[in-house]
Amino acid sequence: MPDPFDPENPTHTRLPDTHALDYAGNQGMAVEQDQLLETRPEKREEARSLWQDAWRDLRRRPIFLVSAVLIVLLVIIAIFPGLFTDADPRHADLVNNYLKKPNWTDFFGAGWFGYDGQGRSIYARVLYGARASITVGICVTLAVAITGGLAGMVAGYFGGWVDALISRLVDIFFGIPLLLGALVILNAFTHRTVWSVVFALAFLGWTQIARVMRGAVLTVKQADYVTAARALGAGTRRIMFRHILPNAVAPVIVVATIALGGYIAAEATLSYLGIGLQDPTISWGIDISSAQNVIRTAPYALFFPAAALSITVLAFIMLGDAVRDALDPKLR
Amino acid sequence: MPGATRVRWVLVSATAVALVASGCSSSSSGSSSSNANATFTYQSGEPQNPLQPANANEVNGGRVIQNLFRGLVDYDPSNSQIRMQVAEKIDTSDSQTFTVTLKSGWTFHDGTPVKAKNFVDAWNWGANVKNNQINSDWFSDIQGYADVHPKSGNPATGQMSGLTVQDDTHFTIKLANKVSYFEYKLGYPAFSPLPDGFFNDPAGYGQKPIGNGPYQFVSWDHNSQIVTKAYPNYQGVDKPKNGGVVFKAYTTSEAAYADLQSNNLDVMDQVPPSALASYKTDLGSRAIDSPQGAIQSIGFTLYQPDWSGANLNKVRQALSMAIDRDTITKTVLQGSRKSATAFVAEGVAGYKSGTCTACKLDVAQAKTLLQEGGGVPGNSLKITYNADGGHKEWVDAVCNNIRQNLGVNCVGDPKPDFKTARAAITGHQIDGAFRTGWVQDYPLNANFLAQVYRTGASSNDTGYSSPQFDQLAKQADEAATVQDSETGYQQAEGVLAQDMPQIPLWYYRTNSGFSTKVQNVSFDSFGNPVWTAVQVKG
Repeated sequence: MPDPFDPENPTHTRLPDTHALDYAGNQGMAVEQDQLLETRPEKREEARSLWQDAWRDLRRRPIFLVSAVLIVLLVIIAIFPGLFTDADPRHADLVNNYLKKPNWTDFFGAGWFGYDGQGRSIYARVLYGARASITVGICVTLAVAITGGLAGMVAGYFGGWVDALISRLVDIFFGIPLLLGALVILNAFTHRTVWSVVFALAFLGWTQIARVMRGAVLTVKQADYVTAARALGAGTRRIMFRHILPNAVAPVIVVATIALGGYIAAEATLSYLGIGLQDPTISWGIDISSAQNVIRTAPYALFFPAAALSITVLAFIMLGDAVRDALDPKLR
Repeated sequence: MPGATRVRWVLVSATAVALVASGCSSSSSGSSSSNANATFTYQSGEPQNPLQPANANEVNGGRVIQNLFRGLVDYDPSNSQIRMQVAEKIDTSDSQTFTVTLKSGWTFHDGTPVKAKNFVDAWNWGANVKNNQINSDWFSDIQGYADVHPKSGNPATGQMSGLTVQDDTHFTIKLANKVSYFEYKLGYPAFSPLPDGFFNDPAGYGQKPIGNGPYQFVSWDHNSQIVTKAYPNYQGVDKPKNGGVVFKAYTTSEAAYADLQSNNLDVMDQVPPSALASYKTDLGSRAIDSPQGAIQSIGFTLYQPDWSGANLNKVRQALSMAIDRDTITKTVLQGSRKSATAFVAEGVAGYKSGTCTACKLDVAQAKTLLQEGGGVPGNSLKITYNADGGHKEWVDAVCNNIRQNLGVNCVGDPKPDFKTARAAITGHQIDGAFRTGWVQDYPLNANFLAQVYRTGASSNDTGYSSPQFDQLAKQADEAATVQDSETGYQQAEGVLAQDMPQIPLWYYRTNSGFSTKVQNVSFDSFGNPVWTAVQVKG
């Protein structure tokens, strides 16, 4: 995936925003200007930052609202799955419940989505499976944002041999395919938990963020206020964290949010291949994998975990898109 | 033979009597009339090795060899008992020296007679380390094997001292130790005779074999098919009722199953897992469901301190009694297995059902035994298995049983493939328990017991060592007759029921079927059809 904010990557040059011009023309420039004139003195005092701008923009986007509601719901399910069902996701009853069909009238009951090939409630398993996926997604994203962000910032700020070293390291890691590399790393674990999957994905995933961060820092470093800060005698650490970081972090947040959905999908893929999460952890990937054998007789055993996975990945990718639109200054 | 370490899905057993009759039920016209000259097709694959009897231990080559050759004896597909073929009789007074008398009139497909020399030369050649034959260790019971097959270096001689030709129809076999059931091993294809012409050009012969069996080689179209035809001068008791077998190469059983349903394939090997639930409805009376001489079990790491305690046999019995075999075989395994009640697979000579007293579901008794035994070490159990063999479903189901019935924290521990799992098992790198199994080399109970449970035996993966079992097995080996040996091993099985080094789970089944063009199809305990009995309608 190309880095949307990599200044060395020219694929994202955009045409002037003709939409905005249309808008101004239709609604009447005068009104807009009146408002601006009226509000300008107040705005001066508040000095809206990039973040405030972004937030104002986000609140008006339906795509953001939908994905935010979904994500809040998913996070609540991940933390308190018991709120939504009384059924035990690990309780297996082959005698009575082997591949039992969904009971659509049993709302929020154990048999709502039917039972899987081990006689376990699919509804309960879909709910409890959210925890592993969301934990992996969020933890990997945090880990890559911190490690990749730091590496990129150091490389971009200091330049010279430090940059050369880190950039070559990034290039090397970038050459390793995420899934293949994760397969190899996870094979080395005899007992795999959520944390080993997080480690494997974060170990291979930080490079993208590092590149984006380095690019952003290179741009910001030239800014006058950085020179001013330096002239006033600010130390390296102060310049990096007080002046450069706040102004370079926006693209990192965007890339990380979009990638979060990808990490959730990667976890499911690894678990599907039998090399990701292991029992007793409940994971959508594991359930999808075991359901494929019975797809002819019990398609519902495959459908529900797969649908849950799709919705979750989609929600995070939609959120990332909305955040990008809000933060990308080129779109304004 | 470490049968469990090989992937050999072909073999065994006998019971298909009921199915034999069923082929006729469908139509009135063709059911009784058959064309003895017509061939039928069978689902097979490209053999891995040249077609030399001592070099085929995978199924695709093995099933061709099995039809091109007949050894001294074979196994009666109806009851797994031994059946004389080229041998008139095999006499022994001490279970160590065997005198073989051959029938006269047997000929190879090139017309040369089958003499005692053809057996002895073939075995010496197969055992010789220089010829690099996969099945050479089958000859290791014979005196002098170590001379022709030293662990390293060149053989001192080309002849095993235990084999002596007396005349054209007599030879003697002297074994290094007493093995009362040695005759049973002689049914393995590695013990086939070879014509004199073989030794001039073994490699060329492997592409165009000449045997002495019911079918003779016609052509081998690589990666497509191997064609055989019935040999008119075949002298065996099982004269072919059809004109020949065509082994068609398939890479997936899904494709074979589709061909079977459209009558482009006559008999198949195993229906694909995805069709297990529906094949009996699809095929009706043409479906096959018969036992195989193979068993699946859970073994324990008795070599580790955790599982070597004196009272822990009660814990293992408890675990076994917590497993609902009948439900799991019916649901998760979709009828492809049958609940085990013994340590030996059903249909094998010497099989006695019910020897495993703790193989019945009894949760109350299991809880009592678990307490008496002091519980599972750490109250957790890990079952290691290979993830490439379709084992996950039943391992999970067994663990669910154990967890819910006994409160033991049971989880499956998948290893990526068979090789990795076997390496961990044989290297004693396992923590707790592991999936294991045994596919018969020959249909006799000794094969399931001696090689798996004797102290230091080649496939004793659990490290089980019981002086009592070893003693009973030794007595059975030295018994006067095969029948006595069978009873002796049944007694030894009683020791296993007490110690429970492994938990027997279920026996394998052959789930297969045939087209509307053939009838009288049944399968033996090796999972092979009874080739010569198949009739082609017409």
